[in-house]
Amino acid sequence: MSTPSSRLESALLGSFIVVPAVLVVALALLMPRNSGAVPAYARQTGQNCVACHAGGQFPELTPYGRLFKLTGYTIGKRTIPLSVMAVADYTHTRNTNSPDPHADFPKNNSGTFHVASIFLAGKIIDNLGIFGQWTYDFYDHQNNNGQWVGHFLADNFDLRYADHLTNPQRDWIFGVSLNNNPTVEDPWNNTPAWGYPYQTSSFAVMPSAAPLIAGGLAQSVAGLTGYAYWDRTVYAAVGAYKTADNALSFLSLGVQNPDLTKLDSPMPYWRVAFTHDWGPNSFEAGTFGLSAQVYPDSLNPHGPTSHYRDIGVDAQYEYLLNPHTITAQLTYINEKVNWANSLVADGSVSNSSDTLNSFNLKGTYVYDAKYGVDLDLFNVSGSSDAALYPGTQLDDNGNPVPIPVTGSVNNNPGARGWIAEVFWKPIQYVRLGVLVLQPLQRRHKQLRRRRTQCL
Amino acid sequence: MKRSLGFTVTLGALAALVGGCADLDQSRSLGNPKVPPEVTARQVCADCHGVEGNPTSPEFPRLAGQQKDYLIAQLKKLRARVRSDPAAQSYMWGMAHNLTDAQIKGLAEYFSQQVPTHSPITDPVRYARGKQIFDKGIPAEQTPPCMACHGPNAKGHGVFPRLASQQASYIVRQLEVFQKNEGRPGTPMTQVTHRMSHQNMLDVAAYLSALPATEGSSR
Repeated sequence: MSTPSSRLESALLGSFIVVPAVLVVALALLMPRNSGAVPAYARQTGQNCVACHAGGQFPELTPYGRLFKLTGYTIGKRTIPLSVMAVADYTHTRNTNSPDPHADFPKNNSGTFHVASIFLAGKIIDNLGIFGQWTYDFYDHQNNNGQWVGHFLADNFDLRYADHLTNPQRDWIFGVSLNNNPTVEDPWNNTPAWGYPYQTSSFAVMPSAAPLIAGGLAQSVAGLTGYAYWDRTVYAAVGAYKTADNALSFLSLGVQNPDLTKLDSPMPYWRVAFTHDWGPNSFEAGTFGLSAQVYPDSLNPHGPTSHYRDIGVDAQYEYLLNPHTITAQLTYINEKVNWANSLVADGSVSNSSDTLNSFNLKGTYVYDAKYGVDLDLFNVSGSSDAALYPGTQLDDNGNPVPIPVTGSVNNNPGARGWIAEVFWKPIQYVRLGVLVLQPLQRRHKQLRRRRTQCL
Repeated sequence: MKRSLGFTVTLGALAALVGGCADLDQSRSLGNPKVPPEVTARQVCADCHGVEGNPTSPEFPRLAGQQKDYLIAQLKKLRARVRSDPAAQSYMWGMAHNLTDAQIKGLAEYFSQQVPTHSPITDPVRYARGKQIFDKGIPAEQTPPCMACHGPNAKGHGVFPRLASQQASYIVRQLEVFQKNEGRPGTPMTQVTHRMSHQNMLDVAAYLSALPATEGSSR
């Protein structure tokens, strides 16, 4: 979460090259009788993954996959809507210089089976469908004895009602989504909930100073998002979110109360996108954002709040013609935060307001839905804040010393680098990949553990 | 926790209630024989093939104006999984699996009655070579004239498909499927394409995709 304390944690990467090798296996609990497709939606439609996912790589959607999602996951014949996913990885971090590398870089140069998910996904009735994911992280945290402890928690959730009015003169899709993460309802892959990287190691050093909309509210909030898609040209969505507590606490299952973002009032979310398909090409350009009033102390949600204003612009291009798949996604998010007075007063932040900018550009080529390569460029920048991004701490003698791994070099959240990945899908529901992350700029370094949010 | 459970139960009950009120005029179900074929055409097929059978993406065949008997035969082969070329398996096996004979007939009638659009002529030389192949065949490759079965205007007849205005990339891919014997048995096309070069496939596809509907309408 992008509260001051977590922003302190959510800094950037240092001079590391991280090479996580990731294996993703998605299996059905029940094999279909006649279809080669396995996960729940494939079983429902009888189609292979490549019908909905660009080049067969999840979660990137084809134009048809977007329509499948926007019409509420309801195409096909209702079936048992269960699937499971397992993720195993091996992580190597090249530079592990720190006073305690064993603690700062756990599981380095070792393989782990770190995440398993169960999906409740599919058509419920003609106009109602669901995507629900719950994840068990085998390496959630370490106990006092240093042993890893697993944790089961809610992941992305999207229950939606949709309708489609179509004839030669008009094409209207409209619906409403109950979800637990702003942008989960979105069908493009440049908004944060379904953006790149799609899968990483839990133990990789990742840039993690991120705007609130980029995961900071995931599984902490619950909201209704209404949307409409006109003539496959204009998409618009408006949502309102509140803290996922009380009757909606099933959407934040496993998130402990201190980690639950507490919103003061219903948080507005909005999204507009323009799309155009021609030949094998599909293009989208849009904007999205939110305005949130967040209590600085989750355990005492009263009094003044911090105000987050996030605005993003995005674009996506796809070329889909067998055997070639080319996709590109561009995302830029600007965030301005006016901190609650109490945070300034107690020294949690140095400034009364801060800004954060996040830029991401990713390209992918996939051949024959089997062999693929991704290249991603990222850049995070923002205002310096000595309290929010500290670089030093006091040692036992009261002398300032650099904070290892997590310390900022110049009290700035900035980071720049690239991610490259090659992957192979020997069969449609197994993905083997090697991902390399290379920082280009060192301002702040931080080890952050990521949760998987991948179908 | 109790409130959360109560909410979930309420949601489930609501879903069950709404489930009894399925709207057949808007249904995207492929497992309900009561769904009218025209609804399935517009709610499901149209997502890839276009609401009038003229798709945007060249990945999918143009169904507008296609021969009704050909569409019926192909949908039944897809339903029975007799037609098993890679695209058929990936996209169409599941779509056709639960269709009834009446729905198949209705879908075929719907799409055969639509008016196909056609591609522009981008390469006149290639277009001319393609027309030569279609009209005269390729003696050196033992390829007979396409018009012998598909008609002089490529509009098809019965189970012989209309080729006029079809997507060029779809034609080339299917010619390759026939040539490699990749799952479309029981047609003379395997023998027809046995020695056909890729270049000639591209040429004849360019010609046929640009052949206008007025020249080859099946109606």
